[in-house]
Amino acid sequence: MKPFLALVKRDLTLGLRRKSQIYQPLVFQLLVVTMFPLGLGSGAKTLALIAPAVIWILALLASLLTLDQIFKNDYDDGSVESYVLTSYPLPLSVMAKVMAHWLLSGLPLVLFSPIIGMLLHLPSSSYGILMLSLLIGTPIFSFMGSIGSALTMSLKHGGLLLTILVMPLLTPVLIFGASAVVESALGNSAAQALLLLSGLLILSITLIPFAAAAAIKINLE
Amino acid sequence: MHIQRTNFLVRFYHQLGSPPSFYRISGYFLKWLLFIAIGLTIWGLYDGLVLAPADYQQGDSFRIIYVHVPAAWMSMFIYAIMGVCGAIAIIWRMKMAEAVMLASAPIGAWFTVIALVTGSLWGKPMWGTWWEWDARMTSELILLFLYIGIMATYSAFSEDNRKAARMAALIAVVGVFNVVIIHFSVKWWSSIHQGSTVSLMGEQHITWDMLRPLLVMAFATKFYYGYSMLKRARVYLLETESNKRWVQDIVLGEKA
Repeated sequence: MKPFLALVKRDLTLGLRRKSQIYQPLVFQLLVVTMFPLGLGSGAKTLALIAPAVIWILALLASLLTLDQIFKNDYDDGSVESYVLTSYPLPLSVMAKVMAHWLLSGLPLVLFSPIIGMLLHLPSSSYGILMLSLLIGTPIFSFMGSIGSALTMSLKHGGLLLTILVMPLLTPVLIFGASAVVESALGNSAAQALLLLSGLLILSITLIPFAAAAAIKINLE
Repeated sequence: MHIQRTNFLVRFYHQLGSPPSFYRISGYFLKWLLFIAIGLTIWGLYDGLVLAPADYQQGDSFRIIYVHVPAAWMSMFIYAIMGVCGAIAIIWRMKMAEAVMLASAPIGAWFTVIALVTGSLWGKPMWGTWWEWDARMTSELILLFLYIGIMATYSAFSEDNRKAARMAALIAVVGVFNVVIIHFSVKWWSSIHQGSTVSLMGEQHITWDMLRPLLVMAFATKFYYGYSMLKRARVYLLETESNKRWVQDIVLGEKA
């Protein structure tokens, strides 16, 4: 457990030194949200109708901005080689990297989401479900992104390829996440969508570190 | 010497794993695969477009099923093959598995495009719309994105094709798991597409006269896939093994 925590701590320290990585995705979200009333008109009803989908798509896009960073810097300075060479299991190192990435990029999105919801006139009774669904869903973005980042870390401009690879794989997360918020906004129970989302998270935690570890090993050959 | 004493099937299997033997053996099959594919296609299309009775609801426009459904089947069948070959490529690093997987990707992508386009053409008269965000269409579209992603990954690592092939293989394997999840997620999300008409077991909802051309076309597309995939895999081998003696022999031999 010690190397795991050390790796998380190292990444958090490094991440907190580069604050732009943390607040820029939030500014991005805010900017895009501003575009919606400008394009659609400021009618509260229309905005509330599209709010769940917009918030979830924004969370997805904002995550994509930082996903390639999961391994990119470590690859450039050679740390990735050391993860592979140490006796500590590579999938666990991947898990630590993903966790740190989520704490730096996913958690701010979750905490920021009620503000986006408010701007889009989402009924305030759904804020809880919105945050809960993002809390379960955004780690899946980071996990899936770790595969994409592990594959594209050696490329100079891998960002677009990563998007093409990761986005189709994340459609189920978007479907269940947005439908949880839609159901709660309609006053129904969001339990079904949230449970399916949790199932996806558990699958991601158990399987994806191995796939990402395999990707790292192939990439370092 | 050891290999000669083992039985025919084992020897055949091992020979297929070696590029020169694969090239030689696949050469015998190519002509026949193409011949059978063309023959079956002519039979299937004539049977389906001319002989089969018109549908009592959809009239003659249902006949597009003989292109649409085989293409959609192939789009998934080929993806499954790519997943299996991808796993073999990652675990045992077998070069032929990489070749088959990479050769399959463009074929699968085009079958997906055919299924989407014919579905769209069929949807206009039947549902009154070219496109609907329904479960099957959406998951078929996402399948197309996965095919494109696999091909994009391979082309991104142009400096080392073995590594590029294994990267693409990894995406194919991850994609197989996801195709299942995507399939069900969009299915629960919304649906307008009709249920399956043909099932392997249980009651058939289609008469034999209508079903026969469909099955013929399904076999025709499989043979075409076999032909096209082998042809592409052979070119891939010639390209990637171009510094090897056997390739030089073939290329120089063809020139002479």
